[in-house]
Formats: sequence, C-alpha cells, structure tokens
Amino acid sequence: MIIEVAHFLLILCTGLFLMSCCFSLLNKNESYTHILVSRTYSHACLFLFVSFAIFIWLSISDNFNVMYIASHSNSNLPIFYKITSIWSAHEGSMYLWIVFLALWGFIFNLYEFSFKAFKSISISIISFVLVGFLTFLLLTSNPYETILPIAPINGADINPVLQDPALAIHPPTLYLGYVGFVIPFACALAFLIIGDPTIKWEAIIKKWAFAAWVFLTVGITLGSWWAYYELGWGGYWFWDPVENVALMPWLAATAFIHSIHVSIKTSKLRVWSILLSILVFSLSLFGAFIVRSGIIDSVHSFANDPQRGLYLLAFIAVIISISLFVFSYRFSIFSSKKSIESLSKESFISLNNIIFGSLIFSVMLGVIYPLVYEYLFNQKISVGAPYYNAIFIPIVILASIFLFFSIESRWQRTLKFINKKLYILISLTFAILLTFAVSFMFNTNNLYILASIFSGLLIILRYFLVLFDTVFFKSFVNPFSVLAHLGLGLLLISISFNSLLSTERALSIKLGEFETYKNYKISFDDIQVLKNSNHDAIKGSFTFEDLDGSSFKLNPEKRRYFTRGQITTETAIHITPIKDIYITIGDQLDDKSWVVNIQINYFIRYIWISAILMSLSGILLLFNAQKEKF
Amino acid sequence: MKPERRKRLFSVLAVIFFSFSGISLILYALNSNLDYFFTPTEINERVLPETKRIKIGGMVAKNSVTRNGSEILFTITDYQNSIRVKFNGLLPDLFKEESGVVVLGYLENDIFNAQEVLAKHDENYMPPNLEIKNDN
Repeated sequence: MIIEVAHFLLILCTGLFLMSCCFSLLNKNESYTHILVSRTYSHACLFLFVSFAIFIWLSISDNFNVMYIASHSNSNLPIFYKITSIWSAHEGSMYLWIVFLALWGFIFNLYEFSFKAFKSISISIISFVLVGFLTFLLLTSNPYETILPIAPINGADINPVLQDPALAIHPPTLYLGYVGFVIPFACALAFLIIGDPTIKWEAIIKKWAFAAWVFLTVGITLGSWWAYYELGWGGYWFWDPVENVALMPWLAATAFIHSIHVSIKTSKLRVWSILLSILVFSLSLFGAFIVRSGIIDSVHSFANDPQRGLYLLAFIAVIISISLFVFSYRFSIFSSKKSIESLSKESFISLNNIIFGSLIFSVMLGVIYPLVYEYLFNQKISVGAPYYNAIFIPIVILASIFLFFSIESRWQRTLKFINKKLYILISLTFAILLTFAVSFMFNTNNLYILASIFSGLLIILRYFLVLFDTVFFKSFVNPFSVLAHLGLGLLLISISFNSLLSTERALSIKLGEFETYKNYKISFDDIQVLKNSNHDAIKGSFTFEDLDGSSFKLNPEKRRYFTRGQITTETAIHITPIKDIYITIGDQLDDKSWVVNIQINYFIRYIWISAILMSLSGILLLFNAQKEKF
Repeated sequence: MKPERRKRLFSVLAVIFFSFSGISLILYALNSNLDYFFTPTEINERVLPETKRIKIGGMVAKNSVTRNGSEILFTITDYQNSIRVKFNGLLPDLFKEESGVVVLGYLENDIFNAQEVLAKHDENYMPPNLEIKNDN
C-alpha cells in the first residue's frame, strides 16, 4: 500500500510541475502569476520529497516487494549501505538526480527577487526540465515497480565495490553539481525571454553557479580518490568515457564562472555568458545520456536499454533546441557595443574561455569519434590516454603562461608591465632555476613534464609575490582567485611529479621469503583466510623495511562476496607526505608463490589537495557572498 | 577598402586560420592515438603492422591459462579463431577462463604482447561482435 502511495505522489508531483510550468504562460497579473507558479512549485517539491523519503524508508525497512530494492539491497547490510544502495543503480540514482534538481529549484524559490516575472519564468523552466525527467523516470525506469504477490526473502545485495563510504557520498555530490547548473540555465533563459538588459542576471546566478561548481569539483575529486584505492588500479584519472562526460561540464562551468565575472564587472561578454550557461547544462544532460543509454562501454555505465537512451536523447534535443532558438532570437538585445581592450583583464579571460572551449571540444571529440567511426566504417576503435595527454598538456601549459601574465592586468585597461616588472623577473628566474634543478636531480629531459613543472612553479611563485605585495604594500587582491590558482599550480606540479617518479612492479613472492624493490625489503609474513558475514577473504601480511631500518606492515586483501560471487581487491596503502606505497594481492602461482603488485605513487595526495584548494576558494567565496547583499 | 573594414577582415581571417589549425592539430592528435579493436578472426584475416597498438576482445579459452614466473599466458578466442596472449602483471579481479576480456598491446609474431588486460565489471558482458555469433 505504502509503495502505491509513494508512486502516486510521484505521479502527482509530475502533474503539479507541469502546472507550474504552464501557469507562467498565463498572461495575467504579474504578481498573481508569480505567487501561483512559486506555490505550485514548492508544493510539487514537497510531494516529491515525501515520495523520496518513503523510498528511503522502504529501503531501510527491507521492503523487497519493491523490485529495485530487492535487486540492489540486502537485509544484512548496515543501514548506511541500505540508504546508499538507492543510488547504486540506474532507477534509484536517476530518482536522486531528479530530487536534487527539484531541491535546487526549491531553494531558489525561497529567495525573493524584485523582478517577479524573472523568478516565475525561471521556476517554470526548471519545472519543464523536471517534468521531462520525471516522465522519463515513470515511463522507462520506475523505481516503484513491484514484485507481487510474494516478495523475495532477501535482496540481491549492493555491488561490493560500491560498499564504501567514499562512494556513498561521491554520486550525490556529483549529481548536486550536475543539476545545480539548472539555476544559471533557467535564469539565462528567463533573462532572454524577458529581454530586459537592466536585469543583472549574472549577479543573481553567481552564487548558484559557484555552489554547483564546488559540488562538481568535490564530486569528481571524490570519484578519483575512490577509484584509486578501491578498484586497485592505482592512478587518479583514466580518461574513461564517463569521467570525460563529468570533465566536460566542469570545464564549461569553470569557463562560465570566469566569464560571468567579466559580465558583472564590465557588462561585456554577456551574450557569451548566456551561451555558456546553456552549454554547461546541456553538457550535464549529455553526461546523463551517455551514462544511462549504454552506448559507451565503461566501468561506470548502467545496463543497456535503447528505449531509455532514445527518450533521453529526444528530451535533451528538445531542451537544447528550445534554448538555442530563444537565444538566437533574442541575443542581439544584450550584445555589448563596447569592444574589448587588448591585454585587459577581460581579454585574458576571453582567452581563458577560448582555451577551455578547445579543451571541451577535444574531450567531446574523443567521446563521440569512436561512435561515429564505428557507425561509418564498421571498425571498433577506442581513444585512450595518449590522445588526451597530447591535447591537454600543451594547452594547459599555454593557459598557465597566459594566466601568469594576466595577474597584472586590470579591467578595461591595457596591461602595462612597467609597475610589476620586478615580480615577473623574480618569478621567471626562480621558476627556470628550479626547473633546471629538477631536471638535474631526477635526470630527466622529458619536455612535457619539465614544461608543466615550470608553468606550475611560475603560477605559484607569482601568486606568492602577489600575497607578499598585499601584506607589505596593501595592494588589492582577490583572495578566492589566488587560492584557486595556487590550486592549479599545485595540480600541475603534482601531476608532473607523479608521472615522473611513480613506479609499479608485479612481483611473485613466496610465504616467509622476501623480495626487494626500490629501497624496500618486502617480506611476506603471513596469509590468512577470513570468513566474514557477507564475504570470504584472503589477507596477506607484508612487512616493508626501508634502507634506514624503519618498517611498516601492509595487509592487502582479496574478497569474494557470497551473494554475487564477485571478487574484489582491497588495496593496502601506506601514506607518507610525498608518496604512497600501494600494494594489491593477486593469484597464487603453481610454485606456491603469490603475485603482488606494488606501486610507489608520488605526490598523488597533492593532486586531490589541489582540487580541494580550488573547491575551498569557491566555498569561501560563497560565504563571503552571503555577507554581501545584492 | 576602408581601414576599419580591413582591420575587421584581418581579424576574421585570423580567427578562421587559428581555429582551422587548432582543429587540424586536434584531429592529428586523435588520429595518431587511436586504438583499433579486433576480434581474433579479424586478426587472422588481416595483415597488421607490428608497431601498431591494438585492442583484442574475446573470451579467455578454457584451460588455456599458464604461468611462467610472473608472466601469464592465455588464449583469447571467439570460438572460430584464437590468439595467444602474454602478459606481465596483475590480472584484474574479473579475469577468469570462459569470460570476456579485452587486451591492449602489440602483436609480435604470433603472440600478442599485452600491456593492459581489462575484464568487464558486468558479468554478462561479451564483446559486442561475439554476441551476434553466439546467437547463431
């Protein structure tokens, strides 16, 4: 009964969202329409939230009458994983995606704006998107589908690699990021529809764009961290298609938060910002399509279903064509007559946008090209890491050099290098010297790596000088920009050192004996068979002894889960400030020795730390924006 | 031509030139970094250069996995043709005989030297080309 109630609430809220979408078409009194749309929307949201809360409760209370819960949860799971099992497969995660979409709109709806029509049109657009996705959920992937009359005794269990705290928060954070861009998107469309250039939509959506960007950044970082320790491959980024479809909205969003900055300060690039807001949201939707249609093979993709793919593609096409139609019809109203001064801050940000645009284009090409190629030539191909490295490394280095020179630049004024010549010289000299030092110390002449280290150093040194200038000469500084760009510098350096120094080796080693690898004497002390509530495990015990006599123990495991018979690797990692010692255990060979894989990963923590620095700058900016009133 | 128009013409030409060269560079990078995907039958039919990195997908043949130190040898088959693969490293968790696998590496004489071995996370996975053949 409760299942039907929840299902009914879901259908009901779809109807209400449809109403709130249509109400703004009424050509009535503006404030009347505003109240109608706004209240219908919040009530629809409440129904949706209640329905989702019931779904969570059904999962906690092991109601295996619900097919989704029966196939993805299990009564032996702790409550925490019963809840997270909701987003471990297609239907539930789509449901969560929609709830978050509605939630962003719900919070947006709580704010009051002086321009009533602007808000009600934005809310209607969000409702329209929600109607499309709710219909998709109800028609093709209903989470409330039941097994009647007799429920299975127990559920089929959550996929064991997903039984992990990082994975419990990674998808929700990522989804909050993806769907958060619905607010800038809806506001941009509302802005176009109203056609009044005096509305400061960039200032209105700035907070929302930053909040969504922070969630997206943190979500991607969490995913990278999870893949590193849980999948047992090591590494932080694999250029997997599904990672790429998360990267594209991130790149577009990063370009977007730069370009709205220009729009707010100088009211230039307004048309471009509108276009970008459409692009960011379209790329988020495209991501949903790629992951859920199964047209791409990936470790992340959900089961194939052509019907779902077709529906999503059609709906995304509708959204994109409507928004581009409105855009092409109206954009000329907002185009700025002022030209962009060369070497001014806005010119550098335009350059930044061109660079991000080309990165997005290349990633998109890498994702789409194999599909087109296979269709045309009936030959399967795949695009791997070498392609992305060949594109990203030179472009990002170029971007960093531009960033370095842009630090001096001022709004609407040509850059004069005279004032800060000394700073530029100091940072250039030190960056060159340090790069040479690295080249000699590690005996490398890999141009890509040295150039990345150089540009990373350039950025970091230059921003330290900016901080120095601020402290001693009280010159103005944008602290958020400094923090985020220091993150970028650190990212470049840590990625370079990681690929320069990290090594990996598969060893075969017998119980009670030892092997040496890279200054470590690795002795294999023990191996145990463990029986746990939901899995068997073999657990190896290894002692690593350093040259200077210090030692530590690592216990990698290999597990076999009962319900699915799935085998997973539990890595063991020893973390030191500059490197991780990472070990996974493989199979036993005929001569009784075991295969173990040892990786020494340098600076990998700093890659995530730099992503955290970037997100932190966004979070601080949001707190600061809370204090300001606009 | 008015100087203003000339200026505009130059900027348009510059934009076209730069985007054209940018796109050609990207396409060049793409083309030189593609991995072609074959089944053992397709390998048998074509002559492939040994220097080209390729992917081979199929099933791990039954009783074909042997080890030589930490080196692993196994056979990939599509039930019509097969190819011997050698690999030095840790096999993925889902690697087992009679289940789907994709290997990435170089063909050396008649042995495929794999640099990466991927087994699919989905237990029902089969390389797409095989699915059709099995149905017949």
